[in-house]
Order: sequence, then structure tokens, then C-alpha cells
Amino acid sequence: MSRLERSRALRLLCTLAAIAALIVILFPVYAIVVGSFESTETLFSGTFYWLPHAATLDNYRTVLGGASAATQETVSGSQTGNILTSLLVGLGTAVLALVVAVPAAYALSKYRMRVTVVVVSSLLVAQIVPSIVLATSLFIVFHWVHLVNSYLGLILADGTYAIPFAILVLRAFFFSLPNELIDAARVDGASEWKTFYLVVVPLARSAVITVAVFAFLAGWGDFIFALTMLNGSGIQPVTLGIYNYLGNYSTDWGAVMASGVIALVPAGILLVVAQRYIASGLTAGSVKG
Amino acid sequence: MTTETASPTSETEPIVRTVDAGRPRRMSSWRRQQLAGWLFLAPAIAYVLFAFALPIVYNVMLSFEHTSPATISDFTAPWAGLANYRFIYHDPTSREAIVHTLVFTVGSLAAQFLIGFSLALLFSLRFPGRTVGRSLVIVPWLLPLIVTGVIFRFMFQAEGGAINQVLIDVGIIHHPTQWLNDPSLAMWTILVANIWLGVPFFTLLLYSALQDVPAEVREAAIIDGASPWQRLRLVIVPIILPVIEVTLLLGFVFTVKVFDLVIGLTGGGPANATQLITTWSYNLSFQVFSFGEGAALNNVLLVMALVAAPLYLWLSRDSLRRSSGGAR
Repeated sequence: MSRLERSRALRLLCTLAAIAALIVILFPVYAIVVGSFESTETLFSGTFYWLPHAATLDNYRTVLGGASAATQETVSGSQTGNILTSLLVGLGTAVLALVVAVPAAYALSKYRMRVTVVVVSSLLVAQIVPSIVLATSLFIVFHWVHLVNSYLGLILADGTYAIPFAILVLRAFFFSLPNELIDAARVDGASEWKTFYLVVVPLARSAVITVAVFAFLAGWGDFIFALTMLNGSGIQPVTLGIYNYLGNYSTDWGAVMASGVIALVPAGILLVVAQRYIASGLTAGSVKG
Repeated sequence: MTTETASPTSETEPIVRTVDAGRPRRMSSWRRQQLAGWLFLAPAIAYVLFAFALPIVYNVMLSFEHTSPATISDFTAPWAGLANYRFIYHDPTSREAIVHTLVFTVGSLAAQFLIGFSLALLFSLRFPGRTVGRSLVIVPWLLPLIVTGVIFRFMFQAEGGAINQVLIDVGIIHHPTQWLNDPSLAMWTILVANIWLGVPFFTLLLYSALQDVPAEVREAAIIDGASPWQRLRLVIVPIILPVIEVTLLLGFVFTVKVFDLVIGLTGGGPANATQLITTWSYNLSFQVFSFGEGAALNNVLLVMALVAAPLYLWLSRDSLRRSSGGAR
């Protein structure tokens, strides 16, 4: 074999290996999408069909309309309202994360303060704390200050996923902004606040979007705080709806699959429209922070 | 400042004057900037105190209290001494949950690292389709964890589950395996699901580290006649070691916390075979309403997770000390 042929064969081999890996990586997502279009009879037939078998929209009708195809009765309400709830919680988490994190990250990168080391260390440690630890205590604390069963309480709790990450990512980004820009604004007589929101924030747009995307996904996908903070109050995000469809004894697979697919939609959209921000956020958060 | 030692040359004269004239103004601008810095930081400090410090302290308090459903509405409950910890020590399920958490964490990390590193190496080679492939690798990372849990519950079903179907079609097994109902097999289901979930993170971070290995270094190793394996072990791994450490550390932190995935996949069953510290703590606090016992188990988990803290701070030391502030 010539050198050229050998390198060509190697490339082909790499492509094949990558395809095999991607099939394994993407198959579960494919399985839930296919499953969501199957009828209840097919889902309980004991056979998995690689391609949709007698595709139907029944599951989506069930989930969006509120009646369970399996039991012919309303299981836990429709997911339509839950989608709005999840959107609201996701957006609320994103707004909270930005309001808290953008100014903090600016102070931690561009101001020389004694507390910087302490605050950044606390944020690094905060990332380590398991959510179940926070959920147990926050449930009682929230009970006490009447934040259980409220959007505000849930968003405040969901902020724990997003805020330390957001501050560390934004701080790493702010280091790359030249100090001259900030000094120039100050020399021109801008106040500290004006320098921040007229000069710094617009320049940080891409990092701000990255952080907002991740905070939104954290709020949208949260399950543990929804499970512990909300108990039958009417506020129910999609993730909790899926859990309720699972049931204790029998699972309404059609409804679970269809609401699972619905829960994937924002991640799917963001993967297409905000790919650049997602990839940069995943790496920036851990290594360069 | 060098006012006294100023040389009599005409150029230094105006500079010295500027420094002197500027001094009082600088002082006030320094103060103004400190104040602004504190104001910018205030919401974050308040949030960290409220959402992290308070729950952690309160969790320690709770673990020493006799809680009951009736005491939930009160902030404090009667002192219990070490009773909750004694309960955890003697409770067989709590002990199993601790062992399961360790097995689950070590197993997940080992496999995630090996698979993730292999994929990172694969994607750093040149071949058609690598860019598309790389962007699709991160998909598992973006799914809500509870959804990942139910997808794998669907795929691991004995009847009609994709995994049994593949294994039967290939001829590895002849009868459906009871993955989710057999206590000796259920741990594999949560391991497989968690490995699937964590591989993208390892791939992405190790891939970006591999990109930072200077081309000259790799070429020099090739010229010196190093085999691919030698190049990897003696050249590439030592260079990217800091990233490997951070990645394993964060992987550890993520894995110790896993909750949603297990609730969606096995619910801790069958017969508590997949009960982790997180899921059993949830059960103690929110199913049995024994918050004190749940808090005691939480503290075991917290100590386990915080083992990583000093290492994490040390690995992040450059970023910690860094400050590029214009203000002096």
C-alpha cells in the first residue's frame, strides 16, 4: 500500500469510528423520539421497533390535551401549562443569574479588592455542594419565609445551578477585556456604573449570552428543586410532569415519551441557534475559569 | 514616590508635579472604585450567603435535631445529639447507599475518562466529518437529567427495550434480561446511563486541551522516533495533565451529586439496589419526613464532595489570584 492509500484508509477508519460513536451517543435521543410517535399498543407490545410502527400523534394529543390514552382519564393535567411554567422558571433563572453574576464578575476581575480571593474561593466551593443538601434545608427555610410553592422560591433555588458558574465564566471573559477601554471611559468622566453598563456590558455580549443560555437550560431542566419545593400547588414544570406520568405502579409510556421530547425542544433549538455559545460555555466554565 | 530624589533635569520636573497634583484625586477615585466594587458584588454576596451558606449551616443544625412532620413549620426542633448520625450508622440502607455511591462514582469516572479521552484523540485527528461529529457529541450533556433517566428506563425494559433487543439480535443473550428488576443488575443501568451522560464533558474538555499541545512538540517526538503510544504517554499526557486533573475532579463532583437520573431510571430500586446517598436522603427527608436523619446523611455526602474542595482550589490557584484591575 502506498503512503497516500494508507492515509486515505486511516481517514476512512476514523470516520467510521466517529460514526459508530455518534450512533451510540445519539441513539437514546432517537429512541425517545420514535417512542413518542408509537401507539400505546405498540409501546406495550414487548417489541421495540427501530422505525416508527404505525406512527400516531396520540401521545402528543394526550400530553397537550390532558387525557391519558392509557387510562382514559386525566392523570396529572396537561403539559401545556407546564411548558409555560418551565419557560417562566428558565427565563427567571436566566434573569436572576445575569443580574447577580454580570456585575459581580466585573468587580471580581477589574477591581482590585481584598475580598476577591475569598469570594472566588467560595464560588468554587459552592459549585461542589450537592443540590440535595441545599434542597433539604431550603425546603424548611422556604417553608418558614413562605417561599415554598412559589415561582420566586423555585427560581431562587435554581439559581444555585447557574450563578457560581455564571460568575466564573464571565470573570474569565472580563480578564480578556483591555483595561484601557475602561480607563478611557473613566477619563471621559463616565461614572463607575455608566462605564459598566455602557462600555463593559455591550462588549461582553457573547459571554452574557452563553451564561444566559446555560442558566435557562438549568432552570428548564431542574427536577430536584421542583420535586422538593412544589407540592401540589398547581405550579408544575415539565420535568415534574414527566415524573408524575411515570407513576408508582404503571408507567404511561406514551405520555412519558411525548413530554420527554417536549422537554428536549429548548436544548435542541439552542444547540442549533447558539451552538457557538454552548461549546464555549462548556469549556470556559471549568478550565479557564 | 520619588519627589525628593528628583533629578534636576528639565524632563522629570513636570512628571513629578503631575504625580503630586494627581494624588488627592486618585485617593478619592480609589475610594469611589472600592465602593463601586462592593456595590457590584453585593447581590452576589447576598445570594451566596442566602442560597449556599445558610442551607449548609442549617443542614448541620438539622442533623442534630429531633425533627418530625410537626416541627417543619418551626425553624428549630429539640436537640437530638448524635442520634441522627447513630441512625445513619446502623441503618443498612444508608450504609448500602454510601457504598453504592462510591462504586457508582469510581465506575463512572473510570469509564467516562477512558471513553472521553479516546473520543478526544479521535476528534483531534483529521478526517471528513470531524466538525459535525464534534458538535453532536455534546448532545447528551444538554438533556434534562430526568429525561435521560426515563429514556434509559425505556431502553432497559426487559420486554420491548432496545438494549435487550440488540443483545438478542446479536446473539449475546437468548432471553430478555431483567435489567431493572434484578437487584444484581440494576447498578449497571444507572452506570451505563451516567457514563453516556458524562462522556461529552470529558470529550470536550480533553479535546480542547489536546488542541493546546504545541504542534512543534508533537513533531519533535515523531522525529525522535517515538511510537504513537510513547508520544501519548510521555509527551501528550504530561502536557495536558492539569486539564485531566480538573476534568476528573469536576466529573467526581458531578457524579457524587447525581439524583434526577436515578429517580427517573430506577427510583433507587429494585430492593434499594441503586439507592445512592442522594436518593436515600431524599427518601428520608421528603418521604418519611425525617429531616434530621436526611440532614445527617446529607452531611456525609457533603464531606465526601468537599474532599474535592482543597484540590479544586489548588488547581484553580492561578485564576484565584488573578486580577487585571485598572484600579490600584
